[in-house]
Amino acid sequence: MGLEYVKISPGFEKYMPRDYVDLVTFGQFGKQVDVMQLGQFKELVEEHPMCAGCYMAYFIRVFYAALPNPEDTIVLGTAGCARLALSQAAVPFIYGNYGDTNAVASGLKRALSIRFPDKVKDVVVIAGDGGLMDIGFGMTMHSWFRREKFTTIMVDNEVYGNTGGQESGMSPKGIQLKMAPKGKQFDKINAVELAQTAGCVYVARISPTNPKRIAKVIRRAILAAREFGPTFIHAYTSCNIEYSIPTREVLADARAREKKDFKFYEWMTDEVKEYLEEIERKEKEKAKQEVQK
Amino acid sequence: MYFVAEVNEKECAKYNCKQCVLFCPEPNCLNYKESDHTAWVWYDRCKGCEICVYVCSDLLKRHCIEMVMVKTGD
Repeated sequence: MGLEYVKISPGFEKYMPRDYVDLVTFGQFGKQVDVMQLGQFKELVEEHPMCAGCYMAYFIRVFYAALPNPEDTIVLGTAGCARLALSQAAVPFIYGNYGDTNAVASGLKRALSIRFPDKVKDVVVIAGDGGLMDIGFGMTMHSWFRREKFTTIMVDNEVYGNTGGQESGMSPKGIQLKMAPKGKQFDKINAVELAQTAGCVYVARISPTNPKRIAKVIRRAILAAREFGPTFIHAYTSCNIEYSIPTREVLADARAREKKDFKFYEWMTDEVKEYLEEIERKEKEKAKQEVQK
Repeated sequence: MYFVAEVNEKECAKYNCKQCVLFCPEPNCLNYKESDHTAWVWYDRCKGCEICVYVCSDLLKRHCIEMVMVKTGD
């Protein structure tokens, strides 16, 4: 962790793998990239084994491009699809056992703030709906009750995709899945409201249809978590395998769900709002000055 | 044999839009060449999901990307 750690020692450039040299030369370490520049720089995440057309993979791609400080970030995940891509990125990744990601993140964040009191280190949890709202529910809620200062992102594919399609607490009511042949009997958990009640200072619900908006939400969640307390993002990332969505229509599905039950929603406390507006105003001014130069 | 996306660079350069690059789920698979104002595909990384075709043809009606079969080593 840290910019010095990432750099290649002089003289060793020709012995390092090509991808790593590209990452240091054309990557996003040490600078703030605009997510609209995707495809023009070497991304932090590498080739991964997630399915063709998976929009969880897309969300993770945008997530890494949006990190405000990738060289000082630690990502936590757990069993589930997301970890397949998270573990292929040039950002330290910790694999929490199923259910305890938020507990591990709590300890890690506290340890980092003791070890590096004068530096900002971001801790981000990305786990699926099973990891955070079913099996890890207690740990997730208690990290919020304790107001731990890190970001939790739920990539919600509404099913246990890795293990053959069992229903999760986040599957919509009535949905028939391979391992839920009678259809789900209960409603989808309202994770966003839970997070608000449990003490998160920034909460957002998003469908991945607009990369700029995803990046903005992720950035805001991480910046707010540095100062104020827990932040939560609920992202819809469809499972095109278990829900039988033709890969070509994955984005169309995300757009349709955005109109239905995944409308963009953002909530934050007044102090967070003030803080973020101040930061964004300063950034805009800086950008303006650079253009004038 | 692999099923991959191929950009018609001549057509693509007319628009300077970059939308397909922004919606591809694979990292550094669809890239953008600023000098030519065109997107290009890194075939080894393409999994053939056709989301770029949906963006280019169905949403934007520009028809610059098509799916092709390639052999190893192409």
